[in-house]
Amino acid sequence: MYTAQDLISVGISALLTAGLYAVMSYGLAIIYGVMKVINLSNAGFVMLGAFLTLVYFQQWHLDPILGAFLNLPVFFVMGWLVYRLLVRRVMTALPIASLLLLFALWLVVQNVALLIWGSEDQSIITAYTYKALALLGFRISLTRLLVFGVALAVLTVLHYGLGHTYIGKALRATVQDPQAALLVGIDTGRISAVAFGLGTAFAGFAGGLLALLFSFTPDFGGSFQLKSFTIIVLGGLENLAGVTVGAAILAFAESFAVLFMRASLQDVVAYALLVVALIVMPGGVAQLLARSRS
Amino acid sequence: MRAARPAALAAPVIGILLALVPVIAPRNVSLLNLGFFTFLYVARGVAWNILGGFAGYISFGYAAFFGLGAYTTALLWLRGWAPVATYPLAGLVAAAFSLVVGAPTLRLVGPYFSIATIGVGEAMRILALNLDRVTGGASGLNLPTTVPSKGWFYTAALVCAAVSFAIAAGVRRSRFGLGLQALRMDQEAAESLGVRTALFKNLAHILSAFLVGACGGLEATYLQYLHPDSVFGFTESISLVLITLIGGLGTLWGPVLGAAVFYAVQDYLLASYPTLHLLVYGVLLILILLFEPKGLAGLAARLWRRMQVSR
Repeated sequence: MYTAQDLISVGISALLTAGLYAVMSYGLAIIYGVMKVINLSNAGFVMLGAFLTLVYFQQWHLDPILGAFLNLPVFFVMGWLVYRLLVRRVMTALPIASLLLLFALWLVVQNVALLIWGSEDQSIITAYTYKALALLGFRISLTRLLVFGVALAVLTVLHYGLGHTYIGKALRATVQDPQAALLVGIDTGRISAVAFGLGTAFAGFAGGLLALLFSFTPDFGGSFQLKSFTIIVLGGLENLAGVTVGAAILAFAESFAVLFMRASLQDVVAYALLVVALIVMPGGVAQLLARSRS
Repeated sequence: MRAARPAALAAPVIGILLALVPVIAPRNVSLLNLGFFTFLYVARGVAWNILGGFAGYISFGYAAFFGLGAYTTALLWLRGWAPVATYPLAGLVAAAFSLVVGAPTLRLVGPYFSIATIGVGEAMRILALNLDRVTGGASGLNLPTTVPSKGWFYTAALVCAAVSFAIAAGVRRSRFGLGLQALRMDQEAAESLGVRTALFKNLAHILSAFLVGACGGLEATYLQYLHPDSVFGFTESISLVLITLIGGLGTLWGPVLGAAVFYAVQDYLLASYPTLHLLVYGVLLILILLFEPKGLAGLAARLWRRMQVSR
């Protein structure tokens, strides 16, 4: 039915997608981990990241990959402000309050973008957009390879930062136990603001990278939003390293599903996985493995 | 209890006054249309509030019920049924689906339930788009053009809203409603006091899905053209969330107020700025969450109290 060649090329494509998915979902995982807030505005910032990258590209001819990097500080400040001005005020209320607040923020961001840029499809075409590399007989799109490489590099730096800097350690400590973190003198309020900034920075960064691969409108990001949730649930909500695992599972599931079903049904894979994962394995794949071992 | 009495009288009085409109102004099409859409939003908002407000399960997936209701009516209508006869069935199909979805997802708490419902709603939209043999898929479905008068639609939507409101009011006063409130505040405490939380949550879900499905059937009759992206769309789901939260989550009158404001703003802005209304609702929702979690109903109650004090 399918040759080994086909399967390998689908596998390569899945791997490249996984890198993108991981970057896209990391911000969500950091914010959830530190303050148990589900950031429904993530998609809005991903979309905004894509549009700002377009603006840099049009105004200053800035390469989208550099644009994605420029988004990191810009969106960090944005996220930090969102936390200080909005999210902090509802942290004492029910958990659903922060979700609804961020949902409202998503609506605002999306519709402000619609006012500024209109609803037409936008895209960024660079000199290398349509180039492809031939590797061992497989043709791989250069942009996808670049995005994968950059995503991998940034995730490695983040991983190092989380493990070796004070802020990183404090952040991980807060993820594990906010009360104990407070007891050992970590300013968890400040860590929360940093985490929200970092999470938003990743959304903006991912938006910049997505702009290189896809065309986008202010509605862009909705389906990625749900995929990001699927990924962090699969990865085990509070497990930052699990994000990569979740991203890989989803990317491979989606890519291989296309071999058996209509391509337009592809997104259903992610949504079905989301619902099943939430119900069957709230601790993610890691917990499932641990349970089957014991 | 004394404060509840004028409010209990207000509903039937307002209902009867509104029912007179098509008799007095049978040719004022824009007014009748305004009424039709507003009442349908009232009916759906009040229904959504039974699960979202009374039980505290915020669902972002009600478009699935609305869409199922709309397509049930459409498909039966095309096979020669009278539309009115299909509305109960439209409700039943939606209710049956709510049981299938609710039994597993209602075990999730708070935010996780909300996220799961986004997944269910969007999955249904994509399935509807792809089942083109049944739904017409992306090219949509044309319905018969022999439809009743605008006055009939106005009255039908008003009846829907009244039935929804009466059911919600009944639920709120019953043991069932008290159980829902108890499980919203503390699920484990409610369970330990003998509230059958799983049963109650599912009943609330089924009841509200039934009402929303029937509304979908009525709207399908009016629209004469169905497309999965409109009746199963995410905008449909979030409309109900916005209406109830802006009006006042968990209050009886909140969704009524919310729907009136929601459709008035949308109708006013839609002509000149097709998407600005969502921006307005987003800002409004942020303000409400920060300053007045009980929404417009809470704000009205607060103003009322202040007036009483100053008098």
